Amino acid sequence: MLAQQLINGVVVGAVYALFSLGLTLVFGMHRILNLAHGAVFMWGAFIGYFAVTLGRLPLWAAFIAAVLGAGFVSVALELCVFRPLRRHQGDEFGTIVASIGANLILMDLAQQATNAQTLRFPFGIFPILFFNFLGMRVSLQQVVILAAVAIIVVGLLLFLFRTSLGSEARAVAVNEQTAMLLGVNPGLVYLTSFFIAGMLAGAAGVILGIAFNSVSYVMGEAVMLQAFVVIVLGGLGSVVGAVLSGILIGMIQTLTTAYISTELSDAVVFGLLFIVLLVRPSGFFAGVHTEHRVA
Amino acid sequence: MMEFVVTYRPLFDLICIYSILALSQYVALRAGLFSLATPGFASVGGYAGAILLKDTALGPVLSALGAILCGVAVGLFLSLPLAKLRGAFQSIATIGFVQIMVSLTLFAQPLTGGALGLNAIPKVATTGLLVAVVIALTALLAVINRSGIGRAFDAIRQDYTVAMSLGISVSRYFRYAFALSGAIGALGGCLLAYDTYSIQPDVFGFPMLVLIIAAVILGGRAIVAGPLVGTAFLIVLPEFIRPLADERLLLQGLLLIVVIIYLPQGIVDSLTQRWKLRRALTARSGEQRARAHGLPSA
Repeated sequence: MLAQQLINGVVVGAVYALFSLGLTLVFGMHRILNLAHGAVFMWGAFIGYFAVTLGRLPLWAAFIAAVLGAGFVSVALELCVFRPLRRHQGDEFGTIVASIGANLILMDLAQQATNAQTLRFPFGIFPILFFNFLGMRVSLQQVVILAAVAIIVVGLLLFLFRTSLGSEARAVAVNEQTAMLLGVNPGLVYLTSFFIAGMLAGAAGVILGIAFNSVSYVMGEAVMLQAFVVIVLGGLGSVVGAVLSGILIGMIQTLTTAYISTELSDAVVFGLLFIVLLVRPSGFFAGVHTEHRVA
Repeated sequence: MMEFVVTYRPLFDLICIYSILALSQYVALRAGLFSLATPGFASVGGYAGAILLKDTALGPVLSALGAILCGVAVGLFLSLPLAKLRGAFQSIATIGFVQIMVSLTLFAQPLTGGALGLNAIPKVATTGLLVAVVIALTALLAVINRSGIGRAFDAIRQDYTVAMSLGISVSRYFRYAFALSGAIGALGGCLLAYDTYSIQPDVFGFPMLVLIIAAVILGGRAIVAGPLVGTAFLIVLPEFIRPLADERLLLQGLLLIVVIIYLPQGIVDSLTQRWKLRRALTARSGEQRARAHGLPSA
């Protein structure tokens, strides 16, 4: 029973990790805490849902549409909100306030588009198939989710550390001025990192929307709360930290829901955030000075 | 005239209560805290005040004092990890705190009534009382602004490193700001409960956070009149332009983005600054004219 819950927790945690990666990536590279990331996630789920129901696309195509669509929503945020703010010398607090505003707009639009209803994917959109593995039941869905998350994370690491655009991005993360002198176009790097962050959020949105079979305009808020804990625990800006602590948070949340109560699991997770901030605010997976770097 | 007062009295009460909450947010921002905890403080104060008033014989004044004490305690508790940290961490933890208060008040059903909330709270807050509280708080904050604490807040807000090098203990002043913001926020929440007969957990959620932060950003973060102007503007505007009422959230979001980009100091601070600048310019041009006319300068 415990092992079964742990498996479920790892799957949920992997999706949290996917979501948190975008948040921590943008913060680590550009010092922007994008509080509208949850709304991008929610829009990803909506695009996936409408691609399946209205567009009659097969699931894999809907997934790609949602991932790209969420990427473009995120890029639109950068172009319409964060870039004008930087041009007017906005400070760190300004970015937080502006992203709260953007979150509100994106959520309100989704609420009006759906009349505040909770939508459900059509039954049997994903083949229901179970494997018995060492006495545990593992669904095909869980296996596919874990595989997809693993592929995406490895792809992200390869992009950051094995491509020239990735090293340009890391150069901008360390020092934007110096990177410019070396011929890097920071504007392009901003667009790239926001696009990647949006794609990660969109992927997480579709996956969670199908896994919990529920898509609503408020779905971003709960995930944001988990992600706050994930990125603080993993160290703001750390890719590996986000993945590991995402899985950890998923397991803790599943266990408290299973053995204590659903309502209290948020409080337990938040208590953890409080303790981490008190004991080791730079997180457990980042070195002392790596807070504003990537990986 | 009487009709006007009767019709718009609830609206006016609302402006007063949200002004108090905006002042709580203002205290935090003025001290350079990135705290967004005010709705959480208001939740603590609202529930504490309502429960004390309904279930004990303390009476409204002592109950409100109890609510304020709870707010101070929660503010100090939050400041334990957060006074030593800066920027994004404070925002993350305080937004989390607001959401946790919503789910805790939902969970603690025997105490808080769960999703139905607390009802039949005696209405002890009158419009006169609310106005008096707003005036008293504004005066108090104006006095604090002129004191050493206010100057330390200014230094920390404008440049953290400079403030440290001037020997200001940043974490100590952050603790003060958390405690003060907690006290005012709890008072605001308590008066909300005493004015509206009932409170529910989601009253103190994300929409309240957005309204309060929008009021302070729009009004201005330096001069104490800023949050009052911002609150009045945000609450009155949709009432008088009806089509806007349905798009209230959209409007608030747009306003937050546009104001923080193009008018980052808010209405009141920007106007005051422009006025001061103009006065300085006219004074100088008067001096130059005097010199051009050959008057000997002493």
